[in-house]
Amino acid sequence: MGGLNDIIKKQQEALNKPEEDKIEEVEQLVGFIVGEEEFAVPILSIQEIIKPIEWTRVPFVPDYVLGVFNLRGNVLPLIDLRKKFHAPSAEIDENTRFIVMKIKGEDVAFVIDKLTSAIRIPKKNILPPPETYSNEDDIIAGVGRLDDGRIITILKVDNLIKREEIVPDRD
Amino acid sequence: MDDLQELLEDFLVEAFEMIEEMDQDLVELENNPDDLELLNKIFRVAHTIKGSGSFLNFDKLTHLTHHMEAVLDKARKGELKITPEIMDVILESVDAMKAILEYIRDHGDDSSPDVDIEPIVKKLDAIVNGNQQSQTQKEEKKEAPKTVGGINLDEINPDNLDELDLSSLSPEELDQVLEKLVEDMNTSPEEEGIEEVEIVEENKEDTGEKKEENKEDKKEENKEIEKKESETLPSKKTSTEVTKEEQKKDLQKKIISTKEQTIRVDVKRLDQLMNLIGELVLAKNRLIKIYNDVEERYEGEKFLEELNQVVSSISIVTTDLQIAVMKTRMLPIGKVFNKFPRLVRDLSRELGKKVRLIIEGEDTELDKSIIEEIGDPLVHMIRNAIDHGIEPPEERRKLGKPEEGTIWLRAYNEGNMIVIEIKDDGRGMDPEKLKKKAIEKGIITPQEAENMSDKEAFMLIFKPGFSTADKVTSVSGRGVGMDVVKTNIEKLNGIIEVDSVPGKGTTFKLKIPLTLAIIQALLVASQEDLFAVPLSNVIETVRIVEEDIYTIEGRSVLKLRDEVLPLVNMADIFNIEKVLMPEKYLYVVILGLGATKIGLIVDRFIGQEEIVIKSLGEFLKGLPGIAGATIRGDGRVTLIVDVASLMKLAKETHNKKLVTDSLKEVKKKKEKPSDYTVMIVDDSPMDRKIMRQALEELGVNIIEAKDGLEALNLLKQNDIDAMLIDIEMPRMDGYTLAQEIRKYNKYRKLPLIAVTSRATKADRVRGVEVGMNEYITKPYTKEYLQNVIRRNLKL
Repeated sequence: MGGLNDIIKKQQEALNKPEEDKIEEVEQLVGFIVGEEEFAVPILSIQEIIKPIEWTRVPFVPDYVLGVFNLRGNVLPLIDLRKKFHAPSAEIDENTRFIVMKIKGEDVAFVIDKLTSAIRIPKKNILPPPETYSNEDDIIAGVGRLDDGRIITILKVDNLIKREEIVPDRD
Repeated sequence: MDDLQELLEDFLVEAFEMIEEMDQDLVELENNPDDLELLNKIFRVAHTIKGSGSFLNFDKLTHLTHHMEAVLDKARKGELKITPEIMDVILESVDAMKAILEYIRDHGDDSSPDVDIEPIVKKLDAIVNGNQQSQTQKEEKKEAPKTVGGINLDEINPDNLDELDLSSLSPEELDQVLEKLVEDMNTSPEEEGIEEVEIVEENKEDTGEKKEENKEDKKEENKEIEKKESETLPSKKTSTEVTKEEQKKDLQKKIISTKEQTIRVDVKRLDQLMNLIGELVLAKNRLIKIYNDVEERYEGEKFLEELNQVVSSISIVTTDLQIAVMKTRMLPIGKVFNKFPRLVRDLSRELGKKVRLIIEGEDTELDKSIIEEIGDPLVHMIRNAIDHGIEPPEERRKLGKPEEGTIWLRAYNEGNMIVIEIKDDGRGMDPEKLKKKAIEKGIITPQEAENMSDKEAFMLIFKPGFSTADKVTSVSGRGVGMDVVKTNIEKLNGIIEVDSVPGKGTTFKLKIPLTLAIIQALLVASQEDLFAVPLSNVIETVRIVEEDIYTIEGRSVLKLRDEVLPLVNMADIFNIEKVLMPEKYLYVVILGLGATKIGLIVDRFIGQEEIVIKSLGEFLKGLPGIAGATIRGDGRVTLIVDVASLMKLAKETHNKKLVTDSLKEVKKKKEKPSDYTVMIVDDSPMDRKIMRQALEELGVNIIEAKDGLEALNLLKQNDIDAMLIDIEMPRMDGYTLAQEIRKYNKYRKLPLIAVTSRATKADRVRGVEVGMNEYITKPYTKEYLQNVIRRNLKL
């Protein structure tokens, strides 16, 4: 009988928990590693995560634009976040993934070194980026401290790439 | 008959769609009566229906929409506030429009006896006249109710005739009353179209005569008219009448039968279908590859035959399916162009002008969605060209031009755009006059006008409310047309260019991007990168040797037959890293755009293919020299060259760089063994050591890898001249490694030497198939290995 009580108790807890979350306002993120650092983006901005596939180089673009590739009939740009963040470049290995995110209505894929985990973090644990951070182009939304002590940099997805930086003005 | 039927169908589909939208917009307008954009949109819909309706001779519909348009026009100009009462009337007229259209759909004409538009038209007129005071005198004359001898003409109709006191009228006044009556009967719903016009006119004539004789008998006479009409009408239904009726029935039947054969599909569904088929193609390609692998392994097995049949049938069906869906979306622009000869003929007759229409490029294929959008703008532009552009015959004769004016309607591909050109040899436009007009209408300030170039001045005609015509005609005017044109073209991400020379004519160029179009392309490789060059711009391809290249005034040129062409290396244009050793022959694509020709050195011709153009998306579109991308059969993306932009880039490169220098850039010449590097790939340290010792004696540099994956990475980072590859390895075996390496153009000629103890014939065959150059079986002698390496490095 004690077992049953436990289950009921757990259920109660489970029912009450989301309420607490709402009060606390939890941010749901997906964490990944690029270079030496762990980053995260809001889970809802991610369209899908795929294993690396072949891409085609494109001329006249900054080095962090690797090129374009075919995702089920759509041509998507591929951005190397290591190069974007000026980290030393690395070879693609079995942990490398392409994260497809929607930026201003367009799907764009980013190369990351490794996925870490899905993260739920209370908003109060997210601090604005410290001034010592080089926050070029307003890319960083904030810095989160996780329960296990990990520090993650939360990215502003919409600012990750800008058209005017990629395509030089013609004429 | 077929053309008319097609037009009618298009008109109906379009009109129903528009009216449905209009209903919603009107309701929204009632909530935001000041939303000028919305009002403009509604007005344009009414205008379009009126235009198409009048073209198809639906007089009743035209009559109704014309009056409705007048109300909307006033509202649009801010002279009328849309009150709920006014909205009631407008909505009522929309309902009447719907009813008439439904009748047209079911019966093929707009007689629609159940719909009486006169009361609505009167209400609409009342609205327009209600604010008449603020209008100019001219319009007042036109619109004000006519009164004759104290009788309001608008109030007369055959039913209340008896109540009128006609005795006091003069003969002229009586004439007017009678005319009005005749007009009413003409439009009265019970009567049918054209035939009665003749009858009534006859009646009018003889009543006119009698009238002179006996003024007192007017009442009787009027009754007589009615009587006569009822008598003559049935008897007048002669044989011609019957055939017309039959024709109408035929038309209806055709409409109904075609209705069953076509189906309108949301373009999005086709897009989705296209993407799914793309996936299917990839799966098919993988299936073929797997089949090939299986075939090797289970040679001679019975099930292979069956598998082969399935695979090839799937591959054929997939290819056909792909083509079929692509074609579903593409239509020749002729579908739109076809309706113009009739339009031009009718309009020029109506306006008393002589106009010839020359159509070119009607085979140019356009995406269906574009075809659908492009029709209206073109109608407006051609109407404008006839109405404003082409002068009347006498005027043309005086100017020394041929009496007959010409309008050219052309379509062609230009880079990533489809260009539709509408050109006339009429009076052209005077930029100064346009500016003046725009200032008068308050569209621009005099200061703005001063700084305006001629091209900018021409663009003024696209401003809402701008019209150069002094009088409003049924053909054009009201300044609505060009405004619509611009909106529609911009909706397609297109641009409009105008060029005009006063006295010589005007040229409009609509440039519309190919959001999805199939083109023939020549696939070429520049170093390792593939590009698709639109075949329409490829004049020829030639193979030359370095000696064919001349340097004139510091620039490289190619002498081809009698021509001297600028010559540029494609790799220099796109800053592609040079990894391939130049071969004896150089491959050149001769590109042509207009009168300009240029020779483009590539490294390989892949072949000709039909490709589907895809956009590179918001972030990458507009890259210099690149028009878009295409997905090829193997699922890889290939960039499509924008020839116009490439030519520009090529000229810059041509001025900067000699091709002969460019060809030398690749690599330093290798002479001594120490200039060469050989990679050893083997998981056994022992085997690696044996090979290393043999190679060290040769004096070449050595790099070692433990498996295929490591080897592939090292290969990319180092300059490798030959590879010794073991077959059995963890992570990636030797066969796979060779296959991967051969995928890169730059490693096409890299010597790959298999070193293995697997010695069966099947193994050797497999080795050759994946791209191994040689096959050494263990054990081997040191000398043998050294000889193989020497031979492959040409030491």
